[in-house]
Amino acid sequence: MKLITANRLSDGRVIYVGADDGAVDAMLQAASFDEDQADAALGRAAARPDVFVNPYLVEVRGQTPSGRDRLKETIRATGPTVGHSLDAR
Amino acid sequence: MYRYDEFDSALVQDRIAEFRDQVARRVSGALTEDQFKPLRLMNGVYLQLHAYMLRVAVPYGVMRSAQMRKLAHIARTYDKGYGHFTTRTNIQFNWPALTDIPTILEDLAMVEMHAIQTSGNCIRNVTTDVFAGAADDEIEDPRPWCEILRQWSTIHPEFSFLPRKFKIAVIASETDRAAIRTHDVGLQIVQGADGQTAFRVFVGGGQGRLPHIAKEIASAVPGREILAYLTAILRAYNLLGRRDNIHKARIKILVEAIGIEAFREEVERHHAELRLEDLILPTDELERIRASFAPPPFETLTRHSGAFDRAVLAEPEFARWTRNNVRRHKVAGYASAIISLKPVDGVPGDITAAQMEAVANLAERFGFDEVRAAYEQNLVLPHVRLDELPTIWRALDAAGLATANADLATDIIACPGLDYCSLANARSIPVAQALSRRLADLDHQERIGPVRINMSGCINACGHHHVGHIGILGVDRKGEEFYQITVGGSPDEKAALGEIVGRSLSADETPLAIERALNRYLDIRTDGERFIDTVRRVGASPFREAIYAPLDA
Ligand code: SF4
Repeated sequence: MKLITANRLSDGRVIYVGADDGAVDAMLQAASFDEDQADAALGRAAARPDVFVNPYLVEVRGQTPSGRDRLKETIRATGPTVGHSLDAR
Repeated sequence: MYRYDEFDSALVQDRIAEFRDQVARRVSGALTEDQFKPLRLMNGVYLQLHAYMLRVAVPYGVMRSAQMRKLAHIARTYDKGYGHFTTRTNIQFNWPALTDIPTILEDLAMVEMHAIQTSGNCIRNVTTDVFAGAADDEIEDPRPWCEILRQWSTIHPEFSFLPRKFKIAVIASETDRAAIRTHDVGLQIVQGADGQTAFRVFVGGGQGRLPHIAKEIASAVPGREILAYLTAILRAYNLLGRRDNIHKARIKILVEAIGIEAFREEVERHHAELRLEDLILPTDELERIRASFAPPPFETLTRHSGAFDRAVLAEPEFARWTRNNVRRHKVAGYASAIISLKPVDGVPGDITAAQMEAVANLAERFGFDEVRAAYEQNLVLPHVRLDELPTIWRALDAAGLATANADLATDIIACPGLDYCSLANARSIPVAQALSRRLADLDHQERIGPVRINMSGCINACGHHHVGHIGILGVDRKGEEFYQITVGGSPDEKAALGEIVGRSLSADETPLAIERALNRYLDIRTDGERFIDTVRRVGASPFREAIYAPLDA
């Protein structure tokens, strides 16, 4: 399965395509797409550049990133693993 | 310190107005990301993993307290309460909203700061010796020359679209504390035959995927001709540098490809053709800029300070901090103090808003209102009285800024890595932290002595791993983080690239492996030999053996 992720135009935060093609903040709320739906959904996100900056597909198993970039996608989903931003949450 | 003239302010204000309009058009959808990206990059705005990142220029690393306070204000108001000092002596904010950035730039302009040329294929922030104007071995203060280069290179039409970015560093002593040979151009101030300032020029250094140590191209270019000579170098590069392959676009590849002799001829041809009279520095302008870097009003003091000596005897931790973080000053009774941004388990280069304010207060009260950013991701109070060091140290300690590890094993340079950076292969910060916890004992670190450990999260080498005495490079192996270790690199006047010692190791194995390499050094060093001296004497093999023997057993 695949999710669609991007950065939000206004503040750059990580977002996902959720139900009804809306933008959601949490990976857990992201909609998953089959191989054959994924490209079309990505196209719809790309057609909304006022929200989604650089949308792309993320391979997942369940709601967990599973592709080669799984660590990067996990860090994108949960934030830096260390440092001052942890206290600021 | 140099203050903006009307041209500088007008330029910065125009640029902010222009960028505000560009951001508005981007947010309204009138500009696509592809159209907007080059525009934002010209203003230091990146899009990283979690958010936009704003990189603010700190020209040659010099700041006033008002600037530091403004950075604190920005961290608190628009970010998550902290900033990150980089190896280019700039500061990065990791969380600003795009829509806030024009206002942030206006705030910065109030204290004569900006983000111009902190990204893109142009001449980047010029760096220099963090002890400029204070070091007792400098021929002259290099900062006026850095300022001249800043003015010359800022929005220079010919050099705004180079094949690739271009970095310049300037020093004024034999000892290289600015890693000039790792730069596209490194300048060393020497005395010319006429007794005036001249420049020994190195070209074609750089780190990244294909690292090179810069080669000497000229031994003494007269100071007043330096802009003409640099123009000739950049013109040759602009014309001949590759634009078809981003990995081969830096000047180091060009110099390597045609050879230093051919490149020198090319530069000399341009130099001869240039209408020299246009690029000769007017003497009165040089003097005007030099005057703005006149030494502060130092008092006449003796070499020794009773207050300092008493505190050294009374407070072992103060004594340790002075041993490790305080450097000799050219004026009797003064010193330079290194403020380590490398606490045990901290993020190298990170500083909170409250800490920025603490540093600003100290600079204002005790340091002629000056603070410097060092490329090692630390700060420096360049001119403080020995008498006042005990008070300064207590204030730093209260702010969590008195880690006594400057130039020791836990003074690790580390790039943001995969915790922030969209180009990363692996995380840097957690490995630097694990290493800092393992080596935390300062008695042990002092026994080891000076050693530069540098770490990057990918081959772009923002963490200078190639020239670390020990270098650590994050690599990706089938989606897992691994770390490749190099030994024997050096950023100084004996610049060298480290040698890869073997296969890459896991995040857990890496700190232990480095500890074993340091222990091997303790076993085999001769009297007075620093880590790097031992490596130069015996080569990398004993360290390779120490790192891998237990793993291969
Ligand atoms: S070295 Fe690589 S991972 Fe580190 S900051 Fe530079 S580009 Fe990012």
